[in-house]
Order: sequence, then C-alpha cells, then structure tokens
Amino acid sequence: MQQDFVIQQWALWPPLQPDEGRDLARQQALLAGVPKMLQRRLSPLARTVFCAANPCIEGQAAMPAVFSSSHGELAKSLLMLQTLAAGEEISPTAFSLSVHNAIAGLCSMAWQNKLQCTVLAPCEEGMAAAFIEALGLLQEGASQVLLVFYDEPLGNFYPAAPFHLSNGETRALALVIGKSGQGQALALSILPLTGNDGEQAIQLSAFIQFLADTQSQLTLKTPRHSWHFENHGTTS
Amino acid sequence: MNGLENELKQLIIDSLDLEDIGVADIDSQEALFNEGLGLDSIDALELGLAIRKKYNVRIDAEKDDVVKIFASVATLASYIESESARGQNERP
Repeated sequence: MQQDFVIQQWALWPPLQPDEGRDLARQQALLAGVPKMLQRRLSPLARTVFCAANPCIEGQAAMPAVFSSSHGELAKSLLMLQTLAAGEEISPTAFSLSVHNAIAGLCSMAWQNKLQCTVLAPCEEGMAAAFIEALGLLQEGASQVLLVFYDEPLGNFYPAAPFHLSNGETRALALVIGKSGQGQALALSILPLTGNDGEQAIQLSAFIQFLADTQSQLTLKTPRHSWHFENHGTTS
Repeated sequence: MNGLENELKQLIIDSLDLEDIGVADIDSQEALFNEGLGLDSIDALELGLAIRKKYNVRIDAEKDDVVKIFASVATLASYIESESARGQNERP
C-alpha cells in the first residue's frame, strides 16, 4: 500500500551548518512571538522545537499537529526521581513540563491552537508512526497537518545499548503536509526488507539529508520491515 | 513588614524564573495572578512550595482561603507573618 502526500513546508533546528553567533540571534527572532510568561518555561529542547515549528506555522491557518519524540523531556523526569530519592519535594513546574505532551501543550498555548494534537513516543518504528497518524488526519479531512519530530540525547544514566537510539544531537524537524498543494511530493510505503537503521533520532538525520539533497528515495529499515519514502518531485 | 515583602518578591522572581523582572517592578498591592503580574496556577503551586521550604509555612488548598492569601505580595506577607507568630506561640 502506498500513501501519497506533499511536504508543503519544512524547517529544522539547529541548522545543518551551525554558526554560534548567527544562530543565537536567529533563535531569539524565532522565539520572539512566544509570550514572555511562556518563554520562561521553555527548556533547551522546547526551544529547539519552537525554532523548527514556528517558521512552518507562520502565516498558515491553524492546523492539527502530530508530535513525535522517542524520549521527550526524560532528563526532567530523571532529575525529579533523583530529587525524590534525596527526600526532597519536587517542583510542580518541573513536573508539569516533564510529561510527554508538555512541549506540544506549550506550542498550543503559544499558538492559541485548539485543534487536535497528538504526541507519540515511537520505538523501533521511528518516524513512520507520526506519518501514519498525520496521513490519517488528512484522510479524515484536515487540509494540512503539522508534523514535529524532536529528540535530545538520552542521559548517561539509562543503558541504551543494544538499541540505536541517538546520534548525540538535539534536533527538531517540522513539516507541513497535505494531500496536495505546492511542495515536494512523496510516497510512503512499507517493504518486507528488514534491518536496523536505528530509532527516530538516527532516522531523522537520514530523513533531513533526504529532504535537503532532494534524494530520489530513502529506506528506513527496522527489525520487522522497512519504511520507504519516494520523492516524486516538486508540485506546483 | 517591608523587609518580608521584598524578600517575598525576590522569592517570586527566583522560584518562578521571572528573569526580566526586578524587586522594584513588583508592587506589593498588585494582583499576582491573571491580571497584574500574570502568574498562573502552576506558579501558585511552585510558590507554595518555595514558601513552605523557606518559611516552613504550609498553605493548604483544602482549608485556607488560597485566593485571598495569594492575592498580592502584601496579603502573602501578612499571612506568613501571622502563621509564623502562631507557630511560635504553639510551641511548648
């Protein structure tokens, strides 16, 4: 089965070629629209998400959103567990921002977006789960869906081996997809080929290269099957 | 009283990450929540925890009139002062 869709817009943060001075100024500009009282609640990972997603929603009508992150703000949960273990009380703010849909919640508040918002934590399937969710929303009648993939490296506390979880980068990629419209036409299909191309954070690097270099295809192998993206070129 | 009020203002700034605000920017009579300083319900919980840690005064949402206590820095300061005094009197 093949699903066709169009990537109408995409943005990532941080940029592929980092430049400390320029990026800091750009980050401030990208976050300028977030109300001050919300800005103080943004963790580094949340800032990364906003910087990727804000350019995608600018000037667009409100759209439903699908967020996907393997581990979300797990570092916050670990810190709270350590606080509890030390016999101290945990911060209510830290708790509220540690849940898996915390960043999506901050986005919906900053954007005043009351439409459906789904937050996934995919395991070895990686990015495909969020695409399937977003394609379902398009099928239901949404004209556009915002997709946001984000992860930061897992803390050393957690034994990650033998899983391929992270490449050590904090990164967010936001996409606006539709069934049609102007952009990059893609087809997603599932193949029986098995392998292990890693979980979301590792797949994300390959997917960004696929988009940035407009490669003709990308296959992401998992132990059970593969997810195959085919580039059908630019639509107008 | 003024000393405690200023101390509370600093506690509010530090515990709620109000980086761009200074003690002088907070009016003791000004509303802390919604309008005024613009704090929200998570801030109320966080501030309650900070007050418990610093002054050993517990504000109980079940028993106390939380809305009145958290109305402004002035109402918070007078509540902490009266609770601290009560605590001292109750000690044997």
